[in-house]
This record gives sequence, structure tokens and C-alpha cells, in this order.
Amino acid sequence: VKRVWSHRPQFSHLGLFVAAYVLGCGFAQSLAIVPGTGISVWPPSGLFIATLVLASPLSWPWWVLGGCLAELFGNVLWFHSPLPAAFLMYIGNALEAMVGAWLVNQTCRRPVRLETLREVLASLVLGAGIAPIASATVGSATLAWFGMQSQTFAAAWPLWWIGDSTGVLIVAPLALVVFQNWHGETELSAARWVEASVLGLIFLAVAALSLSGYLPFAYIIMPPLLWAAVRFEFRGAAVTLTLLALITAVFTISGASQFAGDPESQKQKQVMLQLFLAISALSALIVAAISRQHHRAVLTLRQSERSLRELVETLPTLIWCTAPDGKPIYFSQQFRDFVGFNPEGKDAAGASRLVDVLKAIIHPDDLDTVDKLFAHSLATGEPYALKHRQRRFDGQYRWIQTRAAAMRNGDGAIVQWNGVCLDIEDQVRAQDELRLAQETHLHASRAASLAELSASIAHEVNQPLAAIVTNSHACQRWLTADTPNIERAQKTVERVIRDANSAAEVISRIRALFKQSVETRNATPFGNVIAEAHDLMAEEAARRRVHIDVCIESNLPPVALDRVQIQQVLVNLVRNGMEAMDNIGGDRVLRICARQMGDAVRTEISDHGRGIESPDRIFEPFVTTKQHGMGMGLAICRSIIDSHGGRLWTEKSNPHGATFVFTLPIETEVAL
Amino acid sequence: MTAGDHVIFIVDDDERVREALGELLASHDMRTIAFASAGDYVSADKPDVPACLVLDVELPDINGLDLQKQIREGNHPPIVFITGHGDIPSSVQAIKHGAVDFLTKPFSDADLMSAIRAAIAQDREIRSERAELGVLRQRYLDLTPREREVLPLVVSGLLNKQAAAELGISEVTLQIHRRNVMQKMAAASLADLVRFAEKLQIPVTHSRRAGNT
Repeated sequence: VKRVWSHRPQFSHLGLFVAAYVLGCGFAQSLAIVPGTGISVWPPSGLFIATLVLASPLSWPWWVLGGCLAELFGNVLWFHSPLPAAFLMYIGNALEAMVGAWLVNQTCRRPVRLETLREVLASLVLGAGIAPIASATVGSATLAWFGMQSQTFAAAWPLWWIGDSTGVLIVAPLALVVFQNWHGETELSAARWVEASVLGLIFLAVAALSLSGYLPFAYIIMPPLLWAAVRFEFRGAAVTLTLLALITAVFTISGASQFAGDPESQKQKQVMLQLFLAISALSALIVAAISRQHHRAVLTLRQSERSLRELVETLPTLIWCTAPDGKPIYFSQQFRDFVGFNPEGKDAAGASRLVDVLKAIIHPDDLDTVDKLFAHSLATGEPYALKHRQRRFDGQYRWIQTRAAAMRNGDGAIVQWNGVCLDIEDQVRAQDELRLAQETHLHASRAASLAELSASIAHEVNQPLAAIVTNSHACQRWLTADTPNIERAQKTVERVIRDANSAAEVISRIRALFKQSVETRNATPFGNVIAEAHDLMAEEAARRRVHIDVCIESNLPPVALDRVQIQQVLVNLVRNGMEAMDNIGGDRVLRICARQMGDAVRTEISDHGRGIESPDRIFEPFVTTKQHGMGMGLAICRSIIDSHGGRLWTEKSNPHGATFVFTLPIETEVAL
Repeated sequence: MTAGDHVIFIVDDDERVREALGELLASHDMRTIAFASAGDYVSADKPDVPACLVLDVELPDINGLDLQKQIREGNHPPIVFITGHGDIPSSVQAIKHGAVDFLTKPFSDADLMSAIRAAIAQDREIRSERAELGVLRQRYLDLTPREREVLPLVVSGLLNKQAAAELGISEVTLQIHRRNVMQKMAAASLADLVRFAEKLQIPVTHSRRAGNT
């Protein structure tokens, strides 16, 4: 009881509720035109259910008490039933309201907003269909019990049910709308106000004309009613339904409407009136619910589409889509910002658009590869992945990693190509720098070890040389003395010979150190060796933008060779060739050709560089044309080829450049 | 200059170089003693005659430049460096620390001989100075304690009277001591005595003017 007391509603609300209830009773009474035919529409049921739906269950006793007061007051004013009968009928009404509110609250999520079709249908069925059964049963039984209005139970029940039901259909929505929008937070735009006003006028005119008998058919009100339901949803439906009920009441009471007639047909007319109101209400409410649901779905869709678009547009990567034929469809904002224009705006006819876009943004050197690879993907449906340079808005070419994949429909047919481009300039640059550092380091360590080596050689040779020079001076003095000392001169000369031999021995020891070993030679398919060398140099070639063209005669016989050494020769010659083309414009093509010539395999490596100034000196040790070279590479190459029993020399390329040629003998008797 | 009156020390780890140097210097009528390492040189008994040290920079035990630093304090002969690969910093360091020359192998006869001759001349000079100083020291040691007290006062320029007052003896006694000092130190004049005192590093403790005040 304490809890119930603490849930007491505000007296003002309770007062308003009572007042509205009494008014509803009055409205019902005024529509019961012909005495003895009972109540045609019972608005308090709608008010009651709507109130209880929104109120907390603990406050229900208060509302029930208020309703009781109001109905008994109405009874005193209009119905004049005996008090016990009136009280019993009120119990039926209260039961109806509580059952309806309880069922609706059970079915719908709280707070009840009636936003989906399911909720509206449930509320209609439960509130307007099932709940009135309670009041109809109790009320009809009371009427029959007290013998009032000469009604039997069976005759009174349907009228009672449909009256309450119509009351719920018309008033409950209005009440819900009024309660929920009490504070008026929803603002209508000016255009909507105009529409609402026009609609209101049309509605009033049609209603007045149709219900006052000028138009033959009351249901002609349906179009404006549904219009209100579609455009203004629940609020529109509730307000227009109330207006419709009021207008109908006015014209029925004044006798102008189709629903007013002589006493014999009155009962049937009344049923028609109730049906008219019920059908109108049902239609409007369902349409309002559908409209509401549709509107919400559209909003949700728009919202999700917007967030998806925002996601795509703000991802820190360049996103694009093309049609299955490669025609550009979409480029994300990031993409457009990167290239500095909107590729979709690149207007040209049909298929050439893709070509135009690619031409505008891909580095000319990469264009061919991109073209080929993308065409291949389009033709086969295979995913596309490539690193290439792409022009930025400021004209700078940046390294870009592109990946694209086909989007397919349920049948597996390609619907669209989606791709991303990622700016990897910094990584590529870092890698290049790392590689450069490694090369520099390698070069430095090579130079350092050479310096060490030469210092040690110098020391080894210098000691005997110093002894030789000193001994020679001594010898000279013994011979040129006033009395030449031949014996000692002889001794010093012997020492000179001894020391010179020891210096020569040092030299030959060093040569032995660098001598090639012959043990590791195997008969090897020569094409494989070239292919491996090509692989080794592929990346460097790409970096120097040199195209390596390999042609190897098929059926080359195996050659007995030291694979590592010959690869060293090939790598050296290929690198020389690429370096020779560093500073030339135009095509940088390096050709590697291998073919059989007699009993040898002849390999040519040609470049289009400046050529060689002194071809006879270039194989000498420490002769170099490079700024940082040591001049050892070609000397070592020649010694390797020599040790294989082959020859290495240079020729002039046509029209310019240099060709290095080496031969390796085919050893038919080599053991495999 | 004869073979007996000076000697050349050779320190080089390479036997061929030691041999060749010995031969060349022999042809110049010079006596040589060769060592294979710095340690051998330091520990050997060496004749006390004018000498020169021909030192290789690269030695098996310690670097020739380090040896130069180690023996700087003692009485060692001037050094002529020889090296297989001389770099500028080493040569600068060697010369700064008093080396006569820094020769890169192979070197010419003329360069080596002029360096060695210069070194020996330098050593002869040092030796004669050192010998003179030894004689002076001996004479100084022969003085009586009283005479050793008189010497600084005299070379400081004090009058006999002042010096006598300083020592608390009569002027006549002081004059006797002074005559003995001059005689024992073999000084022909007061100027000679002053020069000897300077070489012996006898401090000038008084001045005539300071004594007056």
C-alpha cells in the first residue's frame, strides 16, 4: 500500500484524466441518438487503455479510482443507470483497460512508441480486439441482469464490443500522441505546416461534404485520411481520426449524415457508423505504421550508407572501382585528392576513358606493365597486384602498391572490380637507402681488405728490397775503395741475390693464394647458369630501369664449369653493362645471348652505353673507367674464364655500346 | 774518426736488414752492434763511447717509437729511425722526441750515412759536456763543508764583509776559504767560478743588495 501511495500520480494529471473521461462519456451519450439503442462509440475505453499503457502498473489503482469517479459522475449526468449496474459496468470497463494495457505492455517494448507495424498490429488486436471482450461481456451481462434498455445478452454484446473497440481505435492513438508529445519537442518545417494545413482543409471539406449527404458515400474520406497517415504518420492518423469522429458525430446528431435515419433502420445505421469509424481507424493506423516503418528503414539505410561512404572516403588509402570491362566507376575522395583531379570527370568516349586515366596518373615507364597486367586480370578474373609509380597532384611520382579483386555475383559473374592503392614511397625509399648502405658497406669493406692486403704485400716485399739496396751500396763501396775488397763485395752480391729471390718468392706465394681451384667443376646446363644470374640481377635492373633481354639457344650442351665463378663473371659483366647505360636516355636494354659455336659455347653481353675507350687495357688489373671502381672486376673475370680454358674479349655493339664475349669449351668427355 | 772510437747500434727484427746495414757501415769503417729486438738492446752491455742507434719502427716486442719514449730519461745515443712504411704522424712524433732522422726503407747510402754522422757528432758533444760536468762535480765534492757554504755566497756577488757577516766569521777567515775554493774548483777568475756554479746548478741564494737591507 505504501508503494502504491508513493506512486500516486500528480493530481493535475489525475484531474485532467477524470475530466477527459467525463467528456468521453458525454461524447458517447451524444452519439447514442436514439434512446434504447445503447452506446455507439465509447471513447473512455481508448483514453483508459492509453493512460494505463503509459502509467506504471503501481499507479494503476489511482487511475482506476479516478475512472470510477468520472464514470459514476457521467452516470449521474447522462446515463441514469441504477448505481449497482453502473458500478458493475465500470468494473467491466476497468477490467478491459487493465487487460488491454497489460497485454500491450507485455507485447511491446517499453516505452510503447508504436513505431513498427508489428507493434501497431499487436496493439490493435490486443487493445481494440481482445480487451473489449471483457467490458462487453461484463456490460452485456449487467444490462441483461438488470433488464435495462430491453436488451438480451447476445444482442447487446456485439454492439458493446464494437463500441468499445471503436473507442479504443480512435481515442487511444490520440491519447498516446498527446501524452507523448506533451512537451512538443517535435518541430515541423514550414513546408510541412503548409502541407498539414492544406491537408486539413481538404480533409475537413471532404468530410463535411461526404458526411452531410452531398456525396453519396462516406468512405470517400479515405484518400485524405490515408494521406495524413502516410505523410504525418501516427500523429496525422490520430488527429484526423479524432476530427473524423467529431464530424461524424456532429452530422449524425444533426441528422444530416448517412448514419442518421428513422428509428427502424437506426440500429443498423448505428452498426454501419461504428463499422465506418472502426474501418477508417484501422486503415489509417495500419498505413501510419507502415509509413513509419518505411520511413525508419529509409533513415537507417541512409545512415548506414552515409557511414559506409564516410568510411570509404576517409580510409587512409586510395580506393577505386571499375566496371567489369575496366571502365572507371568510382574514386574515393582520398584518391581524388592524391591525383589532384576527379578521374570520373575525365570525359572521353567509352573504353578509352580507362586508358586516359591510366595515362594521366601512371609513370610512363610503368604504363606498359600496368596496362598488360590489368588487362590480364580483366580477361581472367585473377586478382591484380603491382608496385608502380603514380603521379601525385604536385607532379611527383610516388611508389604505389595497388591491389584489386573482382566482386562477383551469386552466379560467379564479375560485377565490379574493387581496388586499393597504398602510398609506399617511404618504404621503397627506405629499402633503397638500406640497399645503398649495404653496397657502400660492402665496397668499403672490400676496399679495406684490399688496403690491408696491399700493406701486407708491401711489407713482405719491402724488407728484402731494403736489404738489397743497402747491400748494393755496401758492395759498391767495397769495389770503389782505394784497395777494393773483392771478397766482401762478393759476399754482399750473394746476399743481394738471396734477398731478391726471397722477394720473388713472396710474389709467387701471393699469386698462389689467388689461384683458381679446379676441383669444383661440374657439367652444368649453361642456360640455367644464365637464368640464375639473370634472377640475381633482376631487382637491380628494375631499379636502374634496365630491361634485360635473354636469348639462349635451345639444346645447349652442358659445360664443365665452376657455377659460382661463372655466375660471378656474368654478374660482373651484366652490372658493368647496366652501369655503362646509367647516364643515357632512351631504351636501356641489355642483351644476353648464348649459343654454340663449334666446340665452345659463346656468350655475348651487349649494352648501349658509351662503349670502351681502350679495349686492350680494360682487362689489366687496377685499370678502371668508373669513379669508384677498383679495376679488379674484369681482370678477375678474365682469369676465371682463362682458367676454364675459355677466352674473354670485347667487341663494339651496333650502333653504339660495348659487347663482352666469352667462350667456354664443351667437354664431351667430362664425367657426369 | 776511427773504428775504435765510436759504435753504431742496430735494432731491426729482419736479419737480412741487420746484415746489410752491418756490411754497409763496415764498408764505411764503422763498428756496429746489432740487436733483433728492443729488449736485447736494453739489456745488453754497451761500450761507453760516442754512439748512434739505428732503430726500426716495427719491432716484435715493442714499437720503436715506444722504446724511444722509454729510454728518453737515461743516457742513450741519438736515434736514426728506419721503417718499412713511414707515415707522417709517426715521423713527426719521432722527430719531436729528439730523433735525428726518420728514413723510409729502402733508403740511400748517402741519407743514412749523413744521419749517422750527425748523430755521432751530437753524441760526442753531449758526452764531452757530460764529462766536464763530472770533473766539476768531483772538484765540488773535494770542498770542505765550510767551503761549500762560502761558494754560493761568493757567486751571489756578496762583498767579503757581507759574506763573513752571513757566516758569522771574520773577513780574513772568509778570504782564506774563498782562496781555497777558487783553487780547488780550478777557477782562474770569479767569472769562471760563477759559470761552474751554474753548471752544477748551485742556487744563488743571496744578493748584495738584499744583504744590505
